[in-house]
Amino acid sequence: MPEEIFHLKNLSFQFPEDELKTLNGISLKVHRGERVVLTGPSGCGKSTLLYLLNRLYPLNCDGIVEGELSLFEKLADEYEAGEINHRIATVFQDPDSQFCMPTVEEELAFTLENLRVPLDEMEPRILEALQLTGLTKLRNTVIQSLSGGMKQRVATACALIMNPEVLLLDEPLSHLDPYTAEQFVTWLTALQQQSNLTIIAVEHRLELWKSFFEREIQLDLNGQLAADRQFTSKHAVSFPERQNAIQQTKALKVAQLSVVIKDKHLLAPLSFSVNRGEIVVIAGPNGSGKSTLMKSLCGIYKRTTGTVDSEGLGYVPQSPEYLFLTQQVEKEVAYSNASNQIQLDELMESLRLVEIKDAHPFSISHGQKRRVAIGAMLADKRPVLLMDEPTSGQDAAALLELFELIDQRSKEGTTFLIITHDMQFAASLADSVLLVKEGEMTGKFAAKEVWDNAELMEAHHLLSPKGVAPLAESFA
Amino acid sequence: MRNLLHDMNPSVKFILITLSMLAIAFFFNPWTPFLFWVSIILLQLTMSRTKWKLWLLFMLPFSIGAFGYLWTTVVFGADTGGTVIWSFAGLDVTDEQWARALSLAFRVMAFSTLSLLFAFTTDPVKFILSLMQQLKLSPKLAYGVMVGYQFLPVMKDEFIQIQQAQRLRGAKMQKHSWQRLLSMRQVLIPMLAGAVRKAERSAFAMEARGFTGEPRSAFYRPIRIGRIDILMSGVFLVILFVSCAGGSWLS
Repeated sequence: MPEEIFHLKNLSFQFPEDELKTLNGISLKVHRGERVVLTGPSGCGKSTLLYLLNRLYPLNCDGIVEGELSLFEKLADEYEAGEINHRIATVFQDPDSQFCMPTVEEELAFTLENLRVPLDEMEPRILEALQLTGLTKLRNTVIQSLSGGMKQRVATACALIMNPEVLLLDEPLSHLDPYTAEQFVTWLTALQQQSNLTIIAVEHRLELWKSFFEREIQLDLNGQLAADRQFTSKHAVSFPERQNAIQQTKALKVAQLSVVIKDKHLLAPLSFSVNRGEIVVIAGPNGSGKSTLMKSLCGIYKRTTGTVDSEGLGYVPQSPEYLFLTQQVEKEVAYSNASNQIQLDELMESLRLVEIKDAHPFSISHGQKRRVAIGAMLADKRPVLLMDEPTSGQDAAALLELFELIDQRSKEGTTFLIITHDMQFAASLADSVLLVKEGEMTGKFAAKEVWDNAELMEAHHLLSPKGVAPLAESFA
Repeated sequence: MRNLLHDMNPSVKFILITLSMLAIAFFFNPWTPFLFWVSIILLQLTMSRTKWKLWLLFMLPFSIGAFGYLWTTVVFGADTGGTVIWSFAGLDVTDEQWARALSLAFRVMAFSTLSLLFAFTTDPVKFILSLMQQLKLSPKLAYGVMVGYQFLPVMKDEFIQIQQAQRLRGAKMQKHSWQRLLSMRQVLIPMLAGAVRKAERSAFAMEARGFTGEPRSAFYRPIRIGRIDILMSGVFLVILFVSCAGGSWLS
């Protein structure tokens, strides 16, 4: 039996401001070389458990720990501050807030300085880490100029340069497009085999990991251990089948739309039209101009040429709270005064906002925030909704809820244009797919034509949902 | 030659500039700050790669401020005696008043030019690293500032995005600037909410990479004090001495 890395004996954890325990009586062991995934619904304490393992908690939140936690067969409390972080490295979820230095090289050096590595050992270790992560060419690049996927790779390089024995990953794929995510997994698999790392990951998008993990630890909403079993490769969340609700009238007509900002051609002239009730998924690689297209459609970016003819375009950003202007959900929806009281009541009812109508828009859950944003847009008489990455970082329940919401609204005549990286979600929802690449529109296709066209998929960094789950069969 | 000011050790430069300012503050004649001001500009002209257009833009408010000092001291200054050299519209300007006014105005110009010289020739990241290495600034503080510095462009993007999204909702641009300032609140609240979250995440990321705030034993990019710094210290001290002595002698 290989060495014991983590040993939890009846471990419980409670935040000082909470009434209930976040983690409740968890007992388990993890041995060297294991590849473990932590699963469970949002808010069940997966990340909290991860932060206990790398000793960020309880010190950073004054949390109350009960039970016993041993790391490398020694009690967790006996380690000095920062000592354990030399052996356990962590990669976090948000690629934008993991770095404190300007360039890749300096960021790596920061880690080495923390570990008090002597100066003459730094250079070879930096070279090695860069090579291992395939970042050698980007050594002197400014981190903030990299894409989300590349930033995540830099974060992994920073974790690996410590020569850790354990790697903790907190939803490392949530900001990557499917193709980049697959590359990341392939690369991590090779790395794990080389160095016999112990890996513990928190992850919602299990289908992308294929057979990487060998063990699954599942938590339930009370923070108790729901299951500890052998990992079986997962299908993505399966969505119910839906009937399209396309009506004959045009909801949006775009002709010769192009965007040039500061002499940079962000979008080449493109034309397409969308019918009322149609659900269009906009897809393409990271940084191909999907968001630019969306923002120029609803008028956030100035159009250089072309016309957009529609019934009214609404925009729901990835963080819906960007839209909020008032202190109350009810006022938020009524803000524009474009709908009368009866219409507003109806809208509040159908979006299930009545129960939270007095709440502050910032204090409600993410899903509720999105419903408020949609409500506000519809009340504003904008029946064509543009949604920027509504799926990123959402668990299965939230995805299903989102699916229901969009399906329901489309039946009532709302038109959707959605940017998403989640192919399963796209495949089950889309009536048509608009492919964008390097600022040019490849075309607007009927959805089922796209999923079968391997060439088209690969060129746009998409993965066939078929390879991931059988549900797309319904389109074949 | 043109790199000299840029290549200086930022901490040395910082100390020299602080010393010069303190020294100049003790001279009340108009010539000392004037001579010092001119020499600083000459120094920057010959030993740096400054974008002068931008420099002029930055100097504009300081110049207006300096003129304000000149004007108020001449018109409202306390009566100090001395001979009247100039009189108009019932105002008598004595030579002493005039000298004091000029001294104040040139002092403003000299100090602002000196500050801009530092700002234009120093890389902020290098400055913080140097503060940590030479002046023993605590790494906790230094890296804190550094993270904040990395966040600036992200915050700017976020600000624009929120503003755009809210304008789409029909949040009108206010006509008067004070109203616009008040309506900034709507943009700032979501932005600050996001910033608090980001700050916590960054702190976690740093700690997870073994950062404890302890002084470090080795630096990957040691920022050294070299011959340039000795040379430039000499140059600064000569300028300081010449303007102090020359100013006293001329008045």
